[in-house]
Amino acid sequence: MKQRRLKIIAASVILLVAMAFLVVAGIRSTSVRHFTPAALVANANAVDNQKVQVDGIILEGSSKWDAVNFELTFAVREREGSETVNVIYADRLKPDNFTDGGSVFVEGRYDATQNLIVASKLMTKCASKYEGAESVTMTSRAGG
Amino acid sequence: MTAEIGQAAIFLSILSALWAIGLLCVGLRQRNPNAVQSGRNAVIATFVLISIATGALIYGFVTDDFSMRYVVEVSSAAQPLLYKITALWGRMAGSLLFWLWLLTVAGAVVIWQNRKETTDSLADYALIPIAIVQLFFIILVTGLIEGVYNPLARFPNGQIAPDGAGMNPLLQTPSMAFHPPTLYIGWISLTVPFAFAVGALASGRIGSDWILRSRRWMLFSWIVLTIGITLGGNWAYRELGWGGYWAWDPVENASFMPWLLGTAYLHSVMIQEKRNMLKLWNILLITLAFQFTLLGTFITRSGIISSVHAFAQSDIGGYFLGFILASTAGVLGLVAYRWKRLKSANRLESLLSRESAFILNNWLFVGLTLIILWGTLWPIISEAINGQKASVPEAFFNKVVIIPGLLLLFLTGAGPIISWKKITPNNFRRMFLWPMAIGLFGGAVTWGILALKGHTAPIYSVLCSFAGVFVFAAIFAEFYRGAKLRAKRQETSFLNGLNLLIQRNKRRYGGYIVHIGIVILYIGIMGSKGYFLLESDSLKLGESMQVGAFQLTMKNGFQEERENYIRAGVAFDVKKNGRQLTTMTPARHFYHKAGQGEQDTIESAIRHFGVNDLYIALGDLPPNINAGGVVNVQVYHNPLIGVVWIGVAVMVLGGIVAFAEKYQRKSRTLIE
Repeated sequence: MKQRRLKIIAASVILLVAMAFLVVAGIRSTSVRHFTPAALVANANAVDNQKVQVDGIILEGSSKWDAVNFELTFAVREREGSETVNVIYADRLKPDNFTDGGSVFVEGRYDATQNLIVASKLMTKCASKYEGAESVTMTSRAGG
Repeated sequence: MTAEIGQAAIFLSILSALWAIGLLCVGLRQRNPNAVQSGRNAVIATFVLISIATGALIYGFVTDDFSMRYVVEVSSAAQPLLYKITALWGRMAGSLLFWLWLLTVAGAVVIWQNRKETTDSLADYALIPIAIVQLFFIILVTGLIEGVYNPLARFPNGQIAPDGAGMNPLLQTPSMAFHPPTLYIGWISLTVPFAFAVGALASGRIGSDWILRSRRWMLFSWIVLTIGITLGGNWAYRELGWGGYWAWDPVENASFMPWLLGTAYLHSVMIQEKRNMLKLWNILLITLAFQFTLLGTFITRSGIISSVHAFAQSDIGGYFLGFILASTAGVLGLVAYRWKRLKSANRLESLLSRESAFILNNWLFVGLTLIILWGTLWPIISEAINGQKASVPEAFFNKVVIIPGLLLLFLTGAGPIISWKKITPNNFRRMFLWPMAIGLFGGAVTWGILALKGHTAPIYSVLCSFAGVFVFAAIFAEFYRGAKLRAKRQETSFLNGLNLLIQRNKRRYGGYIVHIGIVILYIGIMGSKGYFLLESDSLKLGESMQVGAFQLTMKNGFQEERENYIRAGVAFDVKKNGRQLTTMTPARHFYHKAGQGEQDTIESAIRHFGVNDLYIALGDLPPNINAGGVVNVQVYHNPLIGVVWIGVAVMVLGGIVAFAEKYQRKSRTLIE
């Protein structure tokens, strides 16, 4: 009886440790550090040639779509600041909702010398669902 | 006027919900049937009141009442009628009202199902937690708290907007019309089994009664969630233009985690029924599943996780977190109070038995849920641990989920054929040997095919094929043996025997059909996630590109006027090995009114070749296509993606078969 309980406990512990190991190893190998543009610029040398995530605003007037080379270039600006990071995103369609001044999330390899992210992933906020500031402007427009 | 009536109904429902909670508590405690009956009536009253409020909002949409703030935000005069109605759940305020309405429907259905019972039935206990959850949502939609306004509110000072902003075009598609309500129905019907668990604790009747009553609700919820999650994936696949159906986005994870826990619960209740074990576990599991439906809302509404979908920050997350913590504390308090009755009567006898297969299954489901939760919350956790915000990409989930996922796949075959209590050499020889051998053969064939195609070391695909074929063989053998036995006993044909077999035990064999669906789904995921092709190119009219065996030639541009948008795109000739197959017309839609959405959306062209898809998405269209302008084209070849949808359909079919088993065992005592 006792021995059986011991076996069951041992099996449970092994399972738990295995799962924990999976998670830790998974996080270790894939976790990507997240910055705002200002924080990235400040830590530029420490993260040179590493995968990073940046989230901010698409700098007004910065986005350029080169159809021939299938290439999108733009700069991400600090939400409440002026620091920017350049982004190049190639061979992928521009996501829906990508507009200057909009929110954007970029993931890719950072090149400190050029202050440039070669993006592998680009996401814009799913516009259907955000509330807040937008709906305020909406309301005032509707009211006036 | 209707908006005012609706608002009044919402405020009145605060009273009816409070009345229900109060009278049910008092009536059940003092064994006063009149009070309990009055409490039941109050639950019905809440349903009527919230129906009035919901109806008033729909009336506002249909009549284009642009004095109502919510109507202006999600609808517009030109919006087709279907989308005027689905605008009900287009944004937060309305979706909360819709959620609440479904919850009141659930309450009314519980009363209806138990209308013939005496007034101290378990169902009456279960109505209390249901009414409490209703009250929470009623308070959210009154507009009295910060962060969310009353969906029936008008603009202050009697302003009237000339027209509404319109719904996001991405949501104006049939599957998006049905995806959110399906998920909501699934989540909300999960409240009922949870309520029965709480009712069982409160009343002290922790036998199998609550399991029997909650199981069918859980199964219903499971079927609906399965459909809802798949509709979401299907919508993303067809509308978003990135060629995939699942990206481990926080919102997707939030819908997936309750599904995993619900699936675990559907399995663990069988152990309680057959072996009278896991009583405490079942209560905790269903509590966890319910809390995860709220947690999903918390994650997506609070703004603590930034994601594609992250609904903007709002204070509402705090209320959800508070409610989750308070209700969990309440359940734990009841568990402590009933601690003695929750002890299991039996213990595990062996590590290799059906019981432990079930327990391992539960561990894996809960483990997967926790892994996914950890990954989803990693941005917060990492910041708390080392002050550096970080997050994990899709690759994390794909990597970490695969081994537990394959183990679970193996269990879908091993669980049904392993013997109870302890496996014997005889059981192993009789049930496992052949399926294992066939599975090994299947794995080897997959290896051979992939090696021929030049894929080196496709270890997971081989394991997946091995497990999948093993499960197929094991389950088919179960059907075959059972049907043959029935046919022999009833002296009828094999097919009749098979029919009888399923009819007599719908739950068991429905479950096995679900398992077959799971195998099919895994094969589809393996093909579409593991072996898709993606090619991008910039093309002028007349130019071609190659994707796998397909050649695509851009033929001509086109433009059409539609109800509330313009459709523009280009036509492609598709050839395979030089043979003309078809013409595909990817496009973009330019909506006249898009609310806060993008007015210009990608409308991919998808063509099915058997179970493989060719998928074309277009970038921004130049104005001068016919004069040599360049169009950006992204083409996917998704092998076996059709199998994904087939697998889910089989799962749902199995679920429906299992659901068809009538709730007839009330009088029969289960093993005590």
